[in-house]
Amino acid sequence: MKVTFHGVRGSFPVSRPEYADYGGNTSCVEIDTGTATIIIDAGTGIRRAGKELMARGVDEIHLLITHTHWDHIQGLPHFAPLQEPQVTIHLYSLAHNDHQLQEAIAGQQESCFFPLALADSKASLTFTGLEDGESFAIGDTRVCCRRLNHPGVAGGYRLEQNGDAMAYISDVDYCTDLLLGDGMATTDAAQGRRRLQELRDGVRDLAHRTGLMVFDTFFLPEDYEPDWGHSRPDDALQVGRDAEAEIIALFHHKPHRTDADVDALLDRYRNGAGVASLIAARERLQLTL
Amino acid sequence: MRVKLWGTRGTIPTPDSATNRYGGNTPCVEVLAASGDRLILDGGLGLHWLGLGLIEDGFGSGKGTAHLLLTHTHFAHIQGVPFCSPAMIPGNQFVVYGRGLGDDSLDDVLRKQMDTTYCPVPNFLSGSIGAHINVREIQAGEFAIGAAKVSAGSLSHVPGTPAFGFRIEADGAALAYIPDVEYVANTDRGTALALAAQVDLLIHDAHFTADEYTRMSGRGHCSADDAVSLAAAAGARRLLLFHHHPDRSDADIDAMVASYADASVLTEGACEGAEYEFG
Repeated sequence: MKVTFHGVRGSFPVSRPEYADYGGNTSCVEIDTGTATIIIDAGTGIRRAGKELMARGVDEIHLLITHTHWDHIQGLPHFAPLQEPQVTIHLYSLAHNDHQLQEAIAGQQESCFFPLALADSKASLTFTGLEDGESFAIGDTRVCCRRLNHPGVAGGYRLEQNGDAMAYISDVDYCTDLLLGDGMATTDAAQGRRRLQELRDGVRDLAHRTGLMVFDTFFLPEDYEPDWGHSRPDDALQVGRDAEAEIIALFHHKPHRTDADVDALLDRYRNGAGVASLIAARERLQLTL
Repeated sequence: MRVKLWGTRGTIPTPDSATNRYGGNTPCVEVLAASGDRLILDGGLGLHWLGLGLIEDGFGSGKGTAHLLLTHTHFAHIQGVPFCSPAMIPGNQFVVYGRGLGDDSLDDVLRKQMDTTYCPVPNFLSGSIGAHINVREIQAGEFAIGAAKVSAGSLSHVPGTPAFGFRIEADGAALAYIPDVEYVANTDRGTALALAAQVDLLIHDAHFTADEYTRMSGRGHCSADDAVSLAAAAGARRLLLFHHHPDRSDADIDAMVASYADASVLTEGACEGAEYEFG
């Protein structure tokens, strides 16, 4: 499976020279399994991905959405395949009570926000709601989705094909003792501890012996906020070690983290990391597992 | 009157080294009158960077006031609002002017953008968090903001969604801001001419080249030719081609600007970070 990073930035796109090397587009990663095209998240990076897919003549796309915060869906209205009649796009996300992916996606293309309605897309669209822990096949690739500890309803994904596996775990706070997601908070302390444990187990299950683990490292220990729903490189390394991931890609960079800051962060954490390989996700970076 | 461009890109931010010079942030222009009255034209992603600067200018201690004028609520013109950090600081005052669409008021649209479905930033429009924010529905016409005189004109944009153009007069100088217009209604040209009459600076939609426009009419934008023609007819002293197409590189914009070297009005490409002073 070939993994291409199209957007690696968290919160909002940053369009200034000091971010140009790692890149300022919001979250979007493409996985070419050889038999299927899978894209995780539709941040602004999906705009370039869409042009490349059209140039390659791809007409079936599986789009796994982690959650519907702007930085994970805002590129979709600008995704060229949406306006191609021969294209089918299958969208997936965690389902949860009244959270409807189709409604949220259509909402960002209401006429007050965007000139073209989602319903007027020329491509065929399907929407699938997933349960926490649900596993399904895209061709010969197994996809598993787990709930993550993040405000709203957010999920992470594991993709596995012929013994190769990758995990995409963003956005998540792995270490917090707060239950951040919709419907998660509880006044029963024992139940709260159980839920936190299940969420952390879910993260490790996604990452278990993956060749590549893409992990939310929005925060550093010195600017960490316990209720925003994001992790630090320390968490990525802990999960990577515990789950025996081979390559850890720091991802969802904080908007004001410059190229020089990301380089310094790599230097800081590579010393004594105790993992096979620590990298920072960078736009246009391609990795083959 | 001081004018600074914080976002010049149309449609979607373009974080790319090919667009670094003219800039990848979506529309936002700051106008500061000598009286201290601060007007902000559109709340594209440039507003985030403008907001950082305001922190150093009184807004950090909750003592700032700014007036945000929205041409319309397409995402590229409001997407910076949730990330304008002075709006999170109690004591600051923001007045937002614009109009909603259909059944949605301007306030409804801005709140929808900050709904928890989409936005993890605490909703400072709720009244209980952050700055005091007063959202005002406006119509075409004239009104005053402190020492500045504002004229709002309604122009055709995409079918069903008009956009305002604004004329700002202060300190004996005038600026016109017309970022999204397609000249399709009979009244559009007259409205734009009135906004831009004899201005010191005209910031105008140049989303398409003349050639592109022949294939892209009906998309809500005009061509750079339309901008240059309007500037000349209105007697504008200087024209900034604005709302750059997301695929237009710095080199492309240079070429577009060069093609108007012989125009009767000084014509330049709107460049993020550029500052102008008049009056």
